[in-house]
Amino acid sequence: METAPGVRIRDLTVVYNTPMGELPAVSGVDLTLTPGTITGVVGESGSGKSTLALSLLNAVQPPGRISGGSVEIDGLGDVVRLRGEELRQARGRKVGYVFQAAQNSLNPLKTIGKQLLDLGRSHDVADPRALVRDAKDLLARMGLDGARVLDSHQHELSGGMRQRVGIMLALVLNAKVVVLDEPTTALDMITQATILRIIREVHEERALTTLVITHDVGAVAEVADALAVMYGGRIVEHGPIADVLGAPAHPYTQGLIRAIPRLSGDISQARALPGRPPTLGTLPAAGCVFRERCALRMEICETVEPAPVTCGGRTVACHAAGHSLAPVKRKEYV
Amino acid sequence: MTRGAAITRRVAGHLARGVVMIWVVATVSFFIIREIPGDPVQGMYESLLQKGMSPQQAERATAVLYGFLPKGTLWDQYVGYMGSLLHGDLGQSLSTPGVQVTHLIGAAASWTVLPVLAGTLLSFLLGVTMGVYAAIRRSGKLGDLLALSGSLLHGIPVYVIGLLLTAIFATLWPILPSGGPVDVDYVPGLNPGYIGSLLYHAVLPVVTYTLASYGGWILAMKSNVVAVLGDDFILAAELRGLKRGIVFRYLARNAILPLFTILALSIGMLFGGSIFIEEIFNYPGLGLLLVNSISSRDYALMGGTFLIITVGIVVANIVADLLYTVIDPRVRSGGTA
Ligand SMILES: Nc1ncnc2c1ncn2[C@@H]1O[C@H](COP(=O)(O)OP(=O)(O)O)[C@@H](O)[C@H]1O
Ligand SMILES: [Mg+2]
Repeated sequence: METAPGVRIRDLTVVYNTPMGELPAVSGVDLTLTPGTITGVVGESGSGKSTLALSLLNAVQPPGRISGGSVEIDGLGDVVRLRGEELRQARGRKVGYVFQAAQNSLNPLKTIGKQLLDLGRSHDVADPRALVRDAKDLLARMGLDGARVLDSHQHELSGGMRQRVGIMLALVLNAKVVVLDEPTTALDMITQATILRIIREVHEERALTTLVITHDVGAVAEVADALAVMYGGRIVEHGPIADVLGAPAHPYTQGLIRAIPRLSGDISQARALPGRPPTLGTLPAAGCVFRERCALRMEICETVEPAPVTCGGRTVACHAAGHSLAPVKRKEYV
Repeated sequence: MTRGAAITRRVAGHLARGVVMIWVVATVSFFIIREIPGDPVQGMYESLLQKGMSPQQAERATAVLYGFLPKGTLWDQYVGYMGSLLHGDLGQSLSTPGVQVTHLIGAAASWTVLPVLAGTLLSFLLGVTMGVYAAIRRSGKLGDLLALSGSLLHGIPVYVIGLLLTAIFATLWPILPSGGPVDVDYVPGLNPGYIGSLLYHAVLPVVTYTLASYGGWILAMKSNVVAVLGDDFILAAELRGLKRGIVFRYLARNAILPLFTILALSIGMLFGGSIFIEEIFNYPGLGLLLVNSISSRDYALMGGTFLIITVGIVVANIVADLLYTVIDPRVRSGGTA
C-alpha cells in the first residue's frame, strides 16, 4: 500500500484585508502532520482554524491571502506555490476537503449522482461505474441508502445527510491527505460519533494523513492521534492527544478542557472559560495573544510573544508553561 | 407529490389567475366603452335612428359593431358582451367598417409578437452573457463599463431609445428604413426579396426592443452571478478540483434561474412598449392598432386589443413559469417558488 504523505506547515501567515488594513488570521504557524495520523485542531470560533485548513489547499479566499510561509505535502511540493491546473488537480484528487458548511456544499440544481460524475470527469476517472460503486459503499457505511442519495437533489436531504455526502465526496477519489473542517456540526451526538468512527476506519484502511478541525474537544478526543490547540491565529499547544488532554500545558488548553464536563469528568467542576476570544481587530500587536484571559499572566506576557518550545514531542507557546502543569488534573487522566 | 402533478398544479393556478385577469380587463373595457363621456354606443344607436333606421335595425347594427346590445339593463348588455367574447366575437371595427376586430387583431399580432420575442431573446442572450462578464470582471474597468451601460439603458424610456435610433440610423446616417413593415415593391410570399425586405425593416424595431430590456438583464444577471459566486457550493466545487468549465456551468445555471421569473414581466413590458415603438416605426402591430383605435375612438377595437395584449401577457407568464419549473428541481409543490 502507498505510504501516507507527510504535511509540513512552516511559518505560515495568512492575512485578511480589512478596513483596518491587512490583519493576520494565522500568524507564523508551524505544524507537522505525521504521515498516517489524525491530527485534531481545536480552538474557539475565530481562532483561525478554517483559514489554516484552506491554506492546505492554497484556497484562502479574498480578501484573504497567504502572505508568507509554506505548506509542503509529500508528492505535491509546496502547495502555496501551486497555480492553475496543477493546483486544481491537487484539490480533490490529492487533498480531500470537507467544507465547514458541508450542508451547503452541493449544487442545488443537480442530483448528487451527477455531481459525483462531474467530480470524476474533472479528475479523469477512467471507470465512472467504479466511482459510483465506491460512493455508494461510503454512503452505506455512513448509514445512508447510497442509490437513493445519488438520485436525490440537495433539498431532498437533511443537513446531516448532506454533510455525509460532503464527506463521501472528499473520500471517494482516494485522496491521501484529508482535511475535515467541522465535519459533524449538523449531526446529533450519536451520528457524530459514528461518522468520526468511520472517518477513523477509512483513515486506517487507506493509510491517510488526516486533519480534523472542530471546536468540540470531546468529539475529536476519540479519534485523533495528535491535538493542536489554536488561539488567536497561533498554535499554542500541540502534541500526542493523550498528553495534551491528560496534562494540558498551556493555560488556554487547560481552560478549554475544564469547560467540558465529558473531559473534566465532573459536571459540577465544569467551568466556562472566562472572557471572549479575540477578533482580528482586537488581537494585541505585541506580547501573548492569550494574556487578557490568562490566570498566569506575567509581566513578560505584555511585551514578548512566547515562542513555541518543543519538549518530548509536545510543543507549547507559553511563558508560564513551565510552572503551570497541573498535577491534579494529570492524575485524572493517566 | 410527483413532479408532473406539481407542474400541472402550477399551470392550473396560472390559468385560473389568467382567466380572472382577462375577465377583469374585459369587464373594464366593457365599462369604458359603455360609460365613456358621450356614450359612443348610445350615440351610434341614436345617429342610426336619425338616419332613418328602425330601432331593431339600429340595435342590430350597433350590436354588430360593439358586440353587445345598446338596449336593456347594463347587466343584460354586460352578459351579452361576455357571451360574444366567449364565442371569440370582439365586434366590428368602427374605423374600418365591416371588418371584424378579431380579423384586424389577427393581422396585427404577428407584427408585434415576432419582434417582441426576437427582442426578448436577443436581449436575454446578450444581457446574460454580458452580465456574467460584468460580474467576473466587476473590479476591472470593462466590468464597470458594462454595468454602467446596463444602468444607463435601463433608465432610458423605450420610446427615447426608438427615437434616438431612428434619428441616427434613418436620418443622420440613413442606412436603415425609417418605418413601415416592408417595401411595397416586393410580392408578398416566400421569395428572398420580400423576406429580405421584411428583415431589413425589422432591424430597428427589434434593436429597440433589445436595447430596452438589455439593461435589465445585464444588471439582474450581474447581481445574481455575484450572489452565486459567494455561495458556499461554488467554493466547495473549486475545493473538489472541479474543472473550470463545470464550475462555470454550476455558476451560470444557478444565476440564470431566477431570471425566468422576470422573463414574463419583461415580455409584458415590451408589449406595452410596442405602443410607442410601432408608432415611431409605423409598424402595423397591436400597439399601432391600439393607438389608432384610440385616436379614432374605435372603442370595440380598443377593448379587443387591450384584451389580446392581456392574453399575451398571461400566456407569457405561463410559458416563463413552465420554463422555470422544468429547470428548477426544487419546485415541488405550488408553495415553493
Ligand atoms: N473573509 C474574511 N474577511 C475578513 N476577516 C475574515 C474573513 N474570514 C475570516 N476572517 C477572520 O479571520 C479569523 C479566523 O477565521 P476562521 O479561520 O474562520 O476561524 P475559525 O474557523 O477558527 O472559526 C476570524 O477573526 C475571522 O473574523
Ligand atoms: Mg471555521
